[in-house]
Amino acid sequence: MPIVELEKIRKVYDTKVAVEGLSLTIEPGTMFGLLGPNGSGKTSTIRMMIGMTVPDSGSVSLFGKPFDRKALHRVGYLPEERGLYKKMKVIDQLVFLGQLHGLSEATARSRSLAWCERVQITEAIEKKTEELSKGMQQKIQFIAALLHEPELIIMDEPFSGLDPVNAELLQDTLIDLRKEGKAVLFSTHRMDQVEKMCDAIALISRGKLVLSGSMREVKSSYPRNRVHVVFSGDETFLQNAEVEEAKNYAGVAELKLHSEAGAQKVLAEAMARGTVIHRFDVKEPTLEEIFIERVRASFGDEEARGIVDA
Amino acid sequence: MHNVWLIAKREYTERIKTKGFLIATILIPLLMGGGLFGVATLAAKSKTTSHIAVLTSQLQLADDLKQELQNGKDSQMTVDILPARTSHAVLDQEMANKELDGYLVIVPATDAGRRPTFDFTPRSTADIATSSAIEEALHHVLTKEYLAQKGVSDSETAALMAPVTLNVLGKNGVHGNSKSSFLVAYVLFFLMYMVVLLYGMNVARSIIEEKTSRVFEVLLATIKPDELLAGKILGVGAVGLTQVAIWMGAAGLIAARLGATSGVQISTPQVVYFIVYFALGYALYSAVAAALGAMTNSEQELQQLNMFLMMPLFFSMLMLMPIVTNPNSLMSRIVSQIPFCAPLLMDLRISISMPQPWEIALSIGLILITIYAVLWVSSRIYRVGILMYGKKPNLPEILRWLKYS
Repeated sequence: MPIVELEKIRKVYDTKVAVEGLSLTIEPGTMFGLLGPNGSGKTSTIRMMIGMTVPDSGSVSLFGKPFDRKALHRVGYLPEERGLYKKMKVIDQLVFLGQLHGLSEATARSRSLAWCERVQITEAIEKKTEELSKGMQQKIQFIAALLHEPELIIMDEPFSGLDPVNAELLQDTLIDLRKEGKAVLFSTHRMDQVEKMCDAIALISRGKLVLSGSMREVKSSYPRNRVHVVFSGDETFLQNAEVEEAKNYAGVAELKLHSEAGAQKVLAEAMARGTVIHRFDVKEPTLEEIFIERVRASFGDEEARGIVDA
Repeated sequence: MHNVWLIAKREYTERIKTKGFLIATILIPLLMGGGLFGVATLAAKSKTTSHIAVLTSQLQLADDLKQELQNGKDSQMTVDILPARTSHAVLDQEMANKELDGYLVIVPATDAGRRPTFDFTPRSTADIATSSAIEEALHHVLTKEYLAQKGVSDSETAALMAPVTLNVLGKNGVHGNSKSSFLVAYVLFFLMYMVVLLYGMNVARSIIEEKTSRVFEVLLATIKPDELLAGKILGVGAVGLTQVAIWMGAAGLIAARLGATSGVQISTPQVVYFIVYFALGYALYSAVAAALGAMTNSEQELQQLNMFLMMPLFFSMLMLMPIVTNPNSLMSRIVSQIPFCAPLLMDLRISISMPQPWEIALSIGLILITIYAVLWVSSRIYRVGILMYGKKPNLPEILRWLKYS
């Protein structure tokens, strides 16, 4: 039974089409990455997933049933725009938000304290929210989304604005939750995080799904035509006919080849010309490369330069 | 319902804890009491103390007038008696130097039995107090003179001229105090005016605050906009009621302490009706305020739309005097049925002179219908508006929002 099932959803705001015929499925126990450039419809999709807005057409199912507000008690949501009551004490705020998700006051309080300890912000409990740093506020919001032990966790840009230490702390927390069998959906621009953490991804551009599937499927559908070379000496081998595109950073080059087989020919030419090869690494494209390529294809090359910021 | 209760509880406890609440609770009655006390003191002390000259050849009349003006009920003027032929130019010069506030020229009547002509030239024509004091004094003096001519003794004249005391009785025949019952009506009117406006605006502000801090996104992921709106209106309204209850309680305590000496009485029906109309008025205005809050993005933008709240309240204020002077006129009865004015005006009429029961019932019914209609519109605007940031919507856009379900 899929946790989330979107079937050809469509949303139009006045004249702008935000989401167009989007379908996707999230299975239990997966870490799902929702990717896309700015303004591509990620937040609109998430809002429809949790009933904040209603799709103009298409259907949304949560936990195997058509959308029903009661199911929201099983969903934890961290919005992209962080929002907390500034004047409220942290603990009061967490208890209030926990109660809104159907917890009793006592449970909400004890879980809040436990979570604060887990993400190392115990000293903030008695403070007012406005006295805290942005990173701390983000952790509080993170806790608020998880207090009621949701089976589906939706996080819009969860790591933006966090320092590496804290970003890793929250990443590990999400990975632990996935191990417990929860489904986690998060949207991000950080492809390295997605590559490291996600089991499945969906790439949206201009409101349409351009790519989706498990990470392995997505990667294996692309040829291993990337080469990372570290060399010294003659660099004319970079002009080999097999090379489609080369970026040379003085001794380190990233190559994109026409075919998988081309790698051997390029290496042979380098050897023949007496170039010293320190490293010659044949790889599949990174997710970032796939992302840029697909988004560009959906926009047309020139337009995409300004839009892709991944 | 549970969610509505949670929202209302948060709204209530967070607001009660603020310093603003404490300050408003203490300051508003202080300012209001101070204002009323100040007006009362000024009114008591407003005897005219002008310096005028009387130009006449009738010395007896002039002397009586001088007595009357210098030691009268409402005047403590300085009066100089000058010969009739004194040059007006000299007096005009004195007035220009602010040594004199005016001069009265008494020209004897040509026929016997007719009144003399009185021409008063004041330094400022706006000085109504002085001219009316002179008018009254002249009337007094002429009557006395006439009675003296007819051979009525001085003591008889004094008895005849003594002011009449009118005992105003309440329905139960108890000696009432009409001045203090007006005072109570005024105080209740302005109290309701202030509290309805203050807490209506608080609802709008609290919506804007949640909008700017983006708390909505989190809240809407679990609860419906309608629940949020209902909880907010109830929570903020409960704070207003608490404040009013504190004031009423304090006023009751003070009245009990001072006892009969204060002469101010608030009857139980007055309090009950006040609370009923306050609750209705607040619900109506806060529903409008909620729509305004959802449409705007900042406090400044809200200020521009403020007039929608202020206009009916201001109109009610204009109607205050006509209703006080004639609470049962056709106009009073009509304007006190207008739903946006009824909370203030019908309650005012109840304080002054109890209207027919059907009038009260009708006004409450009309307000309830209006609250329902306004809430219907507001909740739709709210539902869409709270997720809209940035640009302020124009009228066609708002009308389109009403069509979204």
